Amino acid sequence: MNWHSGKMAARTHFTQATQGVLSTVLILLSALFCITAFAQDSLVATHYTDTQKRDMGFEIARELRCPMAVNQNLFDSQSKIASELKGQIFLMLDEGQSKAAIIDFMVVRYGEKIRYMPALSSHTFMLWLIPIILVLLAIVGLFFFVQPTLKAQKLEQDTLHE
Amino acid sequence: MIPEIGLILLIISSTLSLILSTVTIIGIKLDSEYLLSYTKPLTTLMCLTLVCSILSLAYCFLVDDFSVAYVANNSNTQLATLYKVAAVWGSHEGSMLFWVVAIAVWAAFIINRAPGTKQHFHHKLVAVAALLIFGFCLFLLFTSSPFTRLLPDIPIEGRDLNPILQDIGLIIHPPLLFLGYVGLTICFAGAVAALLSGGLSQQYARYLQPWAVLAWVFLTGGNAFGSWWAYNELGWGGWWFWDPVENASFIPWLVSTAMVHSILLTAKRGILGSSSIFLAILAFSLSLLGSFLVRSGVVQSVHAFASDPTRGVSILILLIVFSGSAMALFAQRTSIKAAPITFSLWSKESLILLGNMLLVIAAISVLLGTCYPLMFEVITGQTISVGAPYFNSIFIPLTALICLLMGLAPLQNWRHSTKMQQPLILMAACMLMALTTTWMTKESFSVWLLLGLFSSLWIISATGLALVQRAAIKNDENSTDNGSSSLRFYGMCFAHIGVAISVLGATLVSNFETEELLRMGPGQGKTLSGYSFIYDETQAVETGSYSAIQAQIRVMDSQNQFVTYLYPQRQTFKTNGMEMSAAGIHSGLLGDLYVSMGQKLTNNPGLNDNEYLIRISYKPLVNWIWLGALFMMISGVVIVFASKKSIARIHSPTTQREYCNELA
Repeated sequence: MNWHSGKMAARTHFTQATQGVLSTVLILLSALFCITAFAQDSLVATHYTDTQKRDMGFEIARELRCPMAVNQNLFDSQSKIASELKGQIFLMLDEGQSKAAIIDFMVVRYGEKIRYMPALSSHTFMLWLIPIILVLLAIVGLFFFVQPTLKAQKLEQDTLHE
Repeated sequence: MIPEIGLILLIISSTLSLILSTVTIIGIKLDSEYLLSYTKPLTTLMCLTLVCSILSLAYCFLVDDFSVAYVANNSNTQLATLYKVAAVWGSHEGSMLFWVVAIAVWAAFIINRAPGTKQHFHHKLVAVAALLIFGFCLFLLFTSSPFTRLLPDIPIEGRDLNPILQDIGLIIHPPLLFLGYVGLTICFAGAVAALLSGGLSQQYARYLQPWAVLAWVFLTGGNAFGSWWAYNELGWGGWWFWDPVENASFIPWLVSTAMVHSILLTAKRGILGSSSIFLAILAFSLSLLGSFLVRSGVVQSVHAFASDPTRGVSILILLIVFSGSAMALFAQRTSIKAAPITFSLWSKESLILLGNMLLVIAAISVLLGTCYPLMFEVITGQTISVGAPYFNSIFIPLTALICLLMGLAPLQNWRHSTKMQQPLILMAACMLMALTTTWMTKESFSVWLLLGLFSSLWIISATGLALVQRAAIKNDENSTDNGSSSLRFYGMCFAHIGVAISVLGATLVSNFETEELLRMGPGQGKTLSGYSFIYDETQAVETGSYSAIQAQIRVMDSQNQFVTYLYPQRQTFKTNGMEMSAAGIHSGLLGDLYVSMGQKLTNNPGLNDNEYLIRISYKPLVNWIWLGALFMMISGVVIVFASKKSIARIHSPTTQREYCNELA
């Protein structure tokens, strides 16, 4: 039951973004310091320890872009919305949700732009493919560029010796 | 009156630069010593007029002449004198002027110390540099003149210099970076001059070498200092964020690193001249492209200052004209079958060549990631972000590959392959050490940590092995190598160890940083990594330019001994009401204690309303990142002096004869 109220709190929290930092920090605090005994008997499979929660929360906050600040991640940004979203991340970690689920939740609300690590898709695969192809080309190119000329030279030298 | 003099001087120098290049080019064509004798005085004159021009701008800042738009926008009567001087390059127009002036000074220095040769390499270089100066001057005069007046409504008080820039960083970081770009400009001029003289011969490469290394030293310093500045001042604890503005200066650094290696290789062995030329052209083009990205405002950045879309187009035109013509010349003058390959696959040459290619690929990847959101938006209309996690996923493996080559190359012979036994054993040992360390220290296995640890361990041990081998060779036979070449070798080793130190620092701070984000008020405390942080009190601070609240945080170590006080601040600037946070940092060789102060947590009924969101962290070895850069810079300077010596040797009559014999 507590679990549900937590989720509802998250929803209302979102609609009342103007309430400012108060609710955020309460949530943040509860996420960081409260022992979430009730989460254990809930249906959610995963339960994170406090350190796990902190590390994962910071990690997720680092991979998401603050909707307000100019090119800063949620972790570094000090805008109000960033603190609220950080609170939201910890709330969802309390619920035992996975990193992917939390990031998906954020993407649904704020669009692809919030993700600093672009999702692999037909639009973005070039980002990884181009560097890999270039590295392979460089290695293969060097091999073919250096080897044949050498052989040719060796042949020339050999014939000279004869 | 003074600003008009500055403007006229700028116009005069642009005319002089055109005359200088025309006279020199015609002089070379006609082989007229008489015409060429004008090159030196004309360059000196152009340099003097440009220096006087920037001095008159500095004078306008010092006397608070707010009728000049640039001064009114970037200065204020309240501003400290030192910052008034630094404000000259604090924004777009002035920094472009600084760039042009520095090209002229550097060119004048070169032509006045040039040895008289038949090929007129230095004259050609100065002629190309003068054309570049002409282009930049036109750009300044027509789109961004720093001397534009605000008449007749002269403001009584200037807008302030951007508060973020009011820091010691502004005095050092931009000049270093611009000097690096200027060095790349000179290398570009040198590369074009070499193309006009039929390719980069060993001798031209020897002329270019000190300037290339110097450009690289400046760029290294500019990047490292910029990162240090952001870490200390921006108050978000990052030392590198892969922000577009950071990338804009990092990409030219990567390519210039490749360029330096290539030019040193050409100077030493006389091979791969065209790859050196190509890299020099590429490095300069990328520095212009970086300026375009930063100054046009097409990218979103935390460090954005002075962006204006109208200038972007002019920079793009400059880029197309300069790089386009140079590339066209390169395509015309260089044939693919230029030189026979005189080295085998496992020789030092191929490893350096591969390393250079990887550096350029790294630069291209960073450029791709930086520009991808722009292209994506243009093509699909949707917005995406490409940020730090992506860049790390590409850049760390590439760096590891480059580090592998960095350790391997000094152990290889020139031309032929060496026995690979020792290096392979060493490599395996490093890998084993890195693996065990990774397993022991982290719960979950981290590939990034493994790669970083291996890279730094491998570079340090392999460089050590190379030094030992070299010493052994020296003791064996009364070595034939001279002082300057062994000085260069030690410089190279020192620079590589610098890279290892930076990599180690970056790896450890990324993987072992511990941090907490929490609310704190007077009397509260928190323990982190064996240190206790105790919030003593909140204080109010008043300075000339801002008022701030700061937290006094006492730090005790595990034995409850007092370590230091930290004072993170939230500053509000008086002139424009901008809010900033400045971190409190206690630096040590082994790690930094870092505290930054967030928002005040008010409207908190029932709770103490004097609490702030505080972020505390312990950053192990973070200073090693910049220590490594310092190593690189010092070794660069050593190499510059070593190559100066070797140039002096070339031009002494006896060695010149030997050199000719060697060539024949």
